[in-house]
Amino acid sequence: MLKVIDSAVPVACWACSVAHNDSTLFCPHCSKIQPPPESDYFQVLGLQRGFQVDLDALEREFHRLSRKVHPDRFARADENERQWSLADTALLNDAYRTLKDPLFRTEYLLKLEGAEIGEEHAGKDRKGQSDPSRVPADLLEEVFELNMQLEEMRMARSTGEIDSVLENGLVLAKKKFESLLAAVDLDLRTEWKAWDTGDAAARKTSEKSMVALLDRRRYLRNLVRDVTETLGA
Amino acid sequence: MAYSDKVIDHYNNPRNVGQLDKASTEVGTGLVGAPECGDVMRLQIRVNPETQVIEEAKFKTFGCGSAIASSSLATEWIKGKTVSDALEIKNTDIVKELSLPPVKIHCSVLAEDAIRAAIGDWKKKNGVSEPAAVAAAQSAH
Repeated sequence: MLKVIDSAVPVACWACSVAHNDSTLFCPHCSKIQPPPESDYFQVLGLQRGFQVDLDALEREFHRLSRKVHPDRFARADENERQWSLADTALLNDAYRTLKDPLFRTEYLLKLEGAEIGEEHAGKDRKGQSDPSRVPADLLEEVFELNMQLEEMRMARSTGEIDSVLENGLVLAKKKFESLLAAVDLDLRTEWKAWDTGDAAARKTSEKSMVALLDRRRYLRNLVRDVTETLGA
Repeated sequence: MAYSDKVIDHYNNPRNVGQLDKASTEVGTGLVGAPECGDVMRLQIRVNPETQVIEEAKFKTFGCGSAIASSSLATEWIKGKTVSDALEIKNTDIVKELSLPPVKIHCSVLAEDAIRAAIGDWKKKNGVSEPAAVAAAQSAH
């Protein structure tokens, strides 16, 4: 699980004992490699916390740090430093992969901000009561119908039947869900901007919207995937 | 992750899969979904208007093995119970019976929601009003 640590808490460098904030892979004073910091990915990669990320800066900093912590450079260092270069490299790769992908980044930052998302939190809010407001009700009926059609289609396929009416219906449904997915992505972008530029209250509203949008997106993505699979079978 | 034997049994031989006439006044339909995994579950009950006993229960679930097993078990349990007894079933009972791991608890929550939704729909159709149920149904919209 994520640990959110106050980055203002200083840590002493193992080599020179000078205190530094715990987000750095190298001591600013003596330049020695440090154990993997407990700070968040944004701090590790020197980025401001936000949903919109300067991808060029991310790329640059990742490559710069990757070269610096590369295990090859620590082949003759002592055991601790060798281990840290491995661990720092792994951390750096995780941080880069997470922040580069817009959806991973959104989920990661929402979790950092304390939002409960993902399967492990489902239905556990409000003391184990499920929260009906989180279910995209307008979608449910459609999702169910589509799943019925998909099942029918698979059954027809398995007996060698070709039902062109059914197939055309699914092609249309796929287009529709793909455009809904695009609309969700557009809405997410709007929320990113609102959060990055908003005050605390605006951010809370935005976080809620984003959690709901991600739920909706998961539904739609699964549907598009299932329809594509069935049509392509 | 390994499924328990009971989950596998319900998954391979799901009980009470099917559909009841949605338009009948004796039938209540609950359609619920879990946005986290994209599962969708429909649970229907046919209630004897004299005795308030659930005489028939059917489900259709699109989702993982645990979701199918949870809804299959739910229909088994509510059959033969009165409406008010069926409302006593908790998702934790399902978790225990099926030995669901923590990441699959939401499947049992979904099954409990489906029972409540189906009973709620039946009550609405038959003019049975319960302050708590009405409030819950309204807050869902």
